[in-house]
Amino acid sequence: MLRDAVLVAGKDLRIEIRSRVGLNQIGPFAIAVLLLFGLALGPDRRVLASASAGLFWVAVLLSTLLAVQRSYAIESADAARDGLRLSGLDPAGIFLGKASAVAAQLLVLEAGLTVGVALLYGAHLSGALVLIAACVAGTLGLAAVGTLYGVVASGLRTRETLLPLLFLPVVAPVLLAATKAWDAGLAGRQGHAAGWLDVLVVFAVLYIAIGTVAFGPLLEDG
Amino acid sequence: MSTPARVLAQDRPAALRVLGAIALVGVAATVWLGLFVTPPDQFMGNLVRLLYIHPPMAWVAFLAYGIATLASLLYLWPRTRAEHFDRLAGASAEVGVVFTGLTLVSGSIWGRPTWGAWWVWDPLLTTTALLFVLYLGYLALRRVPGEFHVRARRSAIAALIAFIDVPIVYFSVEWWRSLHQAPTVLNPTTHKTYVHGSMFWTLMLGFVSFTLVYAWLMVHRYRLARLQDLEETEGLEVAIEERRAEGEAG
Amino acid sequence: MSGYVEAGYVVVLGTLGIYGVALAARERAARRRLGTASSIVSTGTSAKADSPAQAGEAPAVEHRAVDGSEPGPVQ
Repeated sequence: MLRDAVLVAGKDLRIEIRSRVGLNQIGPFAIAVLLLFGLALGPDRRVLASASAGLFWVAVLLSTLLAVQRSYAIESADAARDGLRLSGLDPAGIFLGKASAVAAQLLVLEAGLTVGVALLYGAHLSGALVLIAACVAGTLGLAAVGTLYGVVASGLRTRETLLPLLFLPVVAPVLLAATKAWDAGLAGRQGHAAGWLDVLVVFAVLYIAIGTVAFGPLLEDG
Repeated sequence: MSTPARVLAQDRPAALRVLGAIALVGVAATVWLGLFVTPPDQFMGNLVRLLYIHPPMAWVAFLAYGIATLASLLYLWPRTRAEHFDRLAGASAEVGVVFTGLTLVSGSIWGRPTWGAWWVWDPLLTTTALLFVLYLGYLALRRVPGEFHVRARRSAIAALIAFIDVPIVYFSVEWWRSLHQAPTVLNPTTHKTYVHGSMFWTLMLGFVSFTLVYAWLMVHRYRLARLQDLEETEGLEVAIEERRAEGEAG
Repeated sequence: MSGYVEAGYVVVLGTLGIYGVALAARERAARRRLGTASSIVSTGTSAKADSPAQAGEAPAVEHRAVDGSEPGPVQ
């Protein structure tokens, strides 16, 4: 299973490095989101600074949708699932591989977004350890849920609208906990973040486990 | 093919009509008691009357979701796999989404005069709002066309994924909220309200009556689903028959 | 103040009522359509298939057995 996971993750990341869609499209999208939030919430940097954590994570959530869609789009056109199914790879391994690739791309994205948030909103980047921990744990959870729902949506004509509808409500706790953890970190109150980080870890572990089990049956269908 | 005949012959079984009647009577009694017989609360006056409706709505919303999830589980488990569990899940979800919406609306209507806002980020209300969207996603997924078993399995898995999320959502929001002192629906004052005899029993009656309403709606929704599935199969057979008739005529 | 209470009751009861009525109507329509389809397919079957049965006296609870006719997960 792990061998297959590494195989799939490697393939996905190699495709990304070669095509640079993440860099060229998802990255700018995330920056655009930050800019639009800035426009929406007004030029007062105090408001933006206090909201940075939340805005950061909303941008991450939206970018996850794009990253997941992309993850399935790179499989051979419409026969995405057939290709994966017939490849003979362990479905759990495919899940872990794809989710890892998505997570890796998101983490790179988040690094950029962190800089963006510091620049655009004037967020004070203290508590780096907390910020990073939240990013890792949160992203793993997001990638797991996204990859899982992604395979459900990938075969369908309504995938662009169905995936967000399925994905966003389920990851609401991640948004909540990650934002709170970041708030604590940014305010220099690292201690307050501990519980929220626990929530993120539990969520990630839970959905990675569910994904490993449920991915196979979902891949077979349709 | 005797199946349509069998289903058609079971139009309005007696038990169903009795259920409907009892549910109707129960609701009517709750309304009468709630609006006229029970006294106004010492803190919130007449607004307490909405609290004979709102908690039952919330209870049914979560009950319906629980049943939909349970049915999904039973469908996925190979030993208990049966079509009727998938249909049960779908029926419960559709009825559940109605009650969830009503929970939000009734909570909002109660909240406006009580707190001065149409919405507060109360843990229960917020979880219910998220539950609402989860339901809608599930129903949207069910509507995606496909072969019965395929659709059923993928919907069942989606239901489980979402269900596991609900407690996480609730505890996250509750903790999130505890960091800021703010009004909640289930605060100590509200609990004290129900202690007085008639109010307590009216609330209990409300819970029971609306649960019966849910049951009645669910059974009918299930039957509708069954008929629709039969229609699909019949539709195919009709098309084949007509094609055959054309072939013979032409 | 009391306007809210009335509004709440009306909305809740109204919505449930409308939903219930609509559901019953959909069920009746589907049953009727099924009756027509049945008569096309099975021209030689008994009269029972053509006329929706009268209220009440049918078997008490709907038989929820699995439909043996469902095709398996093929194609």
